[in-house]
Amino acid sequence: MFLLVSCEDAIDLDTETGPRLLVVDGWITNQPGPQTIGLTWSKGYFDNGPSSPIFDAEVVVSDDAGNTYPFTFVRNKLYYQWTPPTDTTRLGRIGRTYTLRIRHEGEEYLATNRIKPVPAIDSLVYREERFPIQPQEGPQEGYLAEFFARDFPGVGDTYWIKPFKNGKPNGNDPGNISLAFDGAFSPGSPSDGLIFILPLRQSITVNGLFEAGDKVGVELHSITPETYYFLVQVQRESANGGIFAVPPANIPTNIRNANPNGKQALGFFGASAVSKAETTIDPQKAGPRE
Amino acid sequence: MKKILSVFCLSLLSYLGATAAWAQEKYTVSGYVKDRANGEGLIGVSVYVRELGTGVTTNPYGFYSLTLPAGQYALVFSYIGYEKTTKSVSLNADQRLEVEMSTESTQLQEVVISTEKEDENVRSLEMSVNKIDIKTIRQIPALLGEVDVIRSIQLLPGVTTVGEGASGFNVRGGDVSQNLVLLDEAPVYNSSHLFGFFSVFNPDAVKDVKLIKGGIPAQYGGRISSILDVRMKEGNTKKREINGGIGTIFSRLTYEQPFAAGKGSFIVAARRSYIDVLAKPFLNKDLRGSRFNFYDLTAKVNYRLDDKNTFFASGYFGRDVFGADFGFGWGNGTATARWNHVFSNKLFMNLTTYYSNYDYSLESDRNDPDAKDKFEWKSKIISKSIKPDFTYYLTPNNQLSFGGQYIHYDTRPGRAIAISSGERRDISLDPRYGDESALYVGNEQKISERLSLQYGLRYSFYRYLGPGQTYEYEEVQRGERKFPVLPGTTYEKGDVITQYGNWEPRFSINVGVGSSASIKASYNRIAQYMHLLSNTAASSPLDVWTLSTGLIKPEIADQVALGWFQNFRDNTYEASVEVYYKDLQNQIDYVRNSDLLLNRYVEGDLLFGEGRAYGAEFFVRKNKGRLTGWLSYTLARTERLIEGVNNDDWFPARFDKPHNFTAVGIYGLRERLTLSSTFTFASGTPATFPTNRFEFNGWALPYNVYNARNNNRIPPYHRLDLAVTLKSKKKLFKVGESEWVFSVYNAYNRRNPYSVYVRQNEDNSLITEAVRFSVIGSVIPAVTYNFKF
Repeated sequence: MFLLVSCEDAIDLDTETGPRLLVVDGWITNQPGPQTIGLTWSKGYFDNGPSSPIFDAEVVVSDDAGNTYPFTFVRNKLYYQWTPPTDTTRLGRIGRTYTLRIRHEGEEYLATNRIKPVPAIDSLVYREERFPIQPQEGPQEGYLAEFFARDFPGVGDTYWIKPFKNGKPNGNDPGNISLAFDGAFSPGSPSDGLIFILPLRQSITVNGLFEAGDKVGVELHSITPETYYFLVQVQRESANGGIFAVPPANIPTNIRNANPNGKQALGFFGASAVSKAETTIDPQKAGPRE
Repeated sequence: MKKILSVFCLSLLSYLGATAAWAQEKYTVSGYVKDRANGEGLIGVSVYVRELGTGVTTNPYGFYSLTLPAGQYALVFSYIGYEKTTKSVSLNADQRLEVEMSTESTQLQEVVISTEKEDENVRSLEMSVNKIDIKTIRQIPALLGEVDVIRSIQLLPGVTTVGEGASGFNVRGGDVSQNLVLLDEAPVYNSSHLFGFFSVFNPDAVKDVKLIKGGIPAQYGGRISSILDVRMKEGNTKKREINGGIGTIFSRLTYEQPFAAGKGSFIVAARRSYIDVLAKPFLNKDLRGSRFNFYDLTAKVNYRLDDKNTFFASGYFGRDVFGADFGFGWGNGTATARWNHVFSNKLFMNLTTYYSNYDYSLESDRNDPDAKDKFEWKSKIISKSIKPDFTYYLTPNNQLSFGGQYIHYDTRPGRAIAISSGERRDISLDPRYGDESALYVGNEQKISERLSLQYGLRYSFYRYLGPGQTYEYEEVQRGERKFPVLPGTTYEKGDVITQYGNWEPRFSINVGVGSSASIKASYNRIAQYMHLLSNTAASSPLDVWTLSTGLIKPEIADQVALGWFQNFRDNTYEASVEVYYKDLQNQIDYVRNSDLLLNRYVEGDLLFGEGRAYGAEFFVRKNKGRLTGWLSYTLARTERLIEGVNNDDWFPARFDKPHNFTAVGIYGLRERLTLSSTFTFASGTPATFPTNRFEFNGWALPYNVYNARNNNRIPPYHRLDLAVTLKSKKKLFKVGESEWVFSVYNAYNRRNPYSVYVRQNEDNSLITEAVRFSVIGSVIPAVTYNFKF
């Protein structure tokens, strides 16, 4: 009943703007094909215009096996791209450590990350579901999808579960980021080696139930604990209001300046191995309602 | 340790022996002061000896004792809201004098000019203390018409809240966990129903509410900011009484009855929310099993064996239950047994033992015991205590109090299981045990008509007990998560893992200025061994109480306060100005992305630092006449300095509100019609806003280049509430009374912000916006019906 009286509304807020910093938006995977890294400037928080891209930087990724992968600026896409010699060539390999090196305006920025192994997705299933009340998003009656995969033995495996619908990322807003620490949500409680717990398995059903004929998909990314904590903070700072809000804190970065007294940078250089599954919802094959 | 304590006891005994020798030609008059209407003991009644210009006040059980030279005296008993009673005493032997006082017949009565002063607030040593009687609490306009103790004390100087719906209250810059909330001397760990909208105290069963913000006497300890001492009614010893009410949220029923020819009585009071009952017919099948209710049951029985022995047993049990297939609930239970014993006319003892339990649980698939996927989590904290308190009424000018307390803590931060696809995993945390002992002695001494002192010393001693597992933690970066060094150290049952002892001096002085004013000053040090780990704006029912460990040091507060107290117009108005400064040690904060629940390495997520709070409180209260009420203004700051936070610089605490103004007015318009109103204004709470945004993965993310905490403030809060109480003309069932209370909360419909925060637009993660979140964004009218017969 208090939901009826509590309310949220957008307001204007004047805030101070700090000096601009270089921002890295980079993520490499073990998937074949080109890999991209974006560089932009940070700006005032409420400045909703397009970000200014940085196009005059030198961007190189290298691995611990002695390979280097130069990234070049693509004018019409406004990001840096490594283009493989063939369509099946991969940049990322499981078990290798990657270093990103950016040279710009006399500063040298570095970031490292590692591609960890990723478990296979054992199955992707769906069943009929009917909500007792009309939900805000999606139909009241439809299909609830769930994937099954098992965490690797050993404490400290972290994953990012990305849902897909009809071939496109689904619910790709920071509030819907689905992260696993071993088989459950967080590091404090031991869930090592478990099949992902139910809320994680069903986290691929976002923004409403599926309908017959929808293509439901999931990508499971293996990430490092550092990446996990970065994404946890992204998620927290993206919807941090209400009665139980926590004190806002800065989102960490793994980009560092080679010169400790040099300019700071923001953003993150991520790396992951990917398992995928996809299926089309067929009412004949759907599990019964629970 | 033991040695110190025995020396302490010995010196106390020798002091008692010595004083007994020179008090011989005097006699003692003692007894209980009670309410004539229902036989309830009256707390804090002033007993004034007209001939000597001296006096005492009754203790929490209504007992007083005066030792005077033989002679003829007039004893004047006065108490706000009661008719003054004068008793003549020829004191040539020790004697008992039981007194009954009547409430003032009507508020409309003309003010009687009296010769004696009812200036207890000026004369007493108490400072930084606020009492609101339950009668006043009942008349203040209440949210949804539900009379509430905790919401009422938030109208007092120095008391604030994080925001609407936040549980608990903040006193002089302390956090909600630093208040010792006592219900008949048993601690209540969570004082809220429905997160924080209502408090657990049933107003029909509450007799007296006292908030001690400073100058805390030696008999109290364990929480560093304040003591909220709530005393339950004992039950009518004169006749059967039934009280009840039907409100918007709760229905209430209270039953009181005397037994054994008035030597004993009991009270049982119950409340239950009934929104679920009303909603049930409208829910469809899937939601029919859903639970959404909160209730509490309060009961107390007392029996007076003879003049020297009275026994009390009281209990409270309350729960909040939410959910359907997924269940969530929490509740407190307390049981207190007390024995009042009068050893001699001068030596009064109260022995209290209590059991207090707070628990909560979260459970999925409640209806399916064989669920293949399930999560279940129960957390609990149990404390058991024994607490003897003695008052020795040496002379009217020396009132010695001494005693001790032992508390055993059994905390179970989480018994939890997770079942995933049929695989079961026990993810429970180990219980943690500890105990706390304290000894204290204090004296209230009147040196002259103008000068009185209260001084005392408390020694508290805490042990963190085995069995248990402890870890050392390695710091990687200042202000960030620390990682445990495995495998840690294991302790067996009987081992003492860590121990702390603290001397806690207490001191107050009252210097009279003229006939109706005084200057008071006080100092107190208090240690706290039990900590609430809560990183959210408002504390949540799931927050975990944690014992002090090797890493979590006891919180310690030192407070000094100075005040001017003056009464005007024959005590029609009482006024005070107080300033205070408080220094807080070993305050707890949290790393970013802290994980406080079910985390066995939770200590690695804690940050420590210090705090300081200071302020000035202005208070004027009108006690007599048609219009009663008060004005209160507080100017205050509360700040923290925490390792690695805000660039290692001081920052305002989440509940820092520099300006706080409240006005409370209760006006008796006609015999049966009372109007009341409250107005509140408070500075907005601090907030942290980003200075910049950066883009990652199609998301606009916030960043504060200065790495600041609480560098901004949200807009101020203000609110007007109104209420009308209309007593029915017609007698209920020929004997009873009834009344209607109409109230309006947030009368001019202000959308007060609880918080202002930033987020991405829900349709486009690259668009940023600021959002104002209001817990109550509209006018809330309510009607309540109360009856009594």
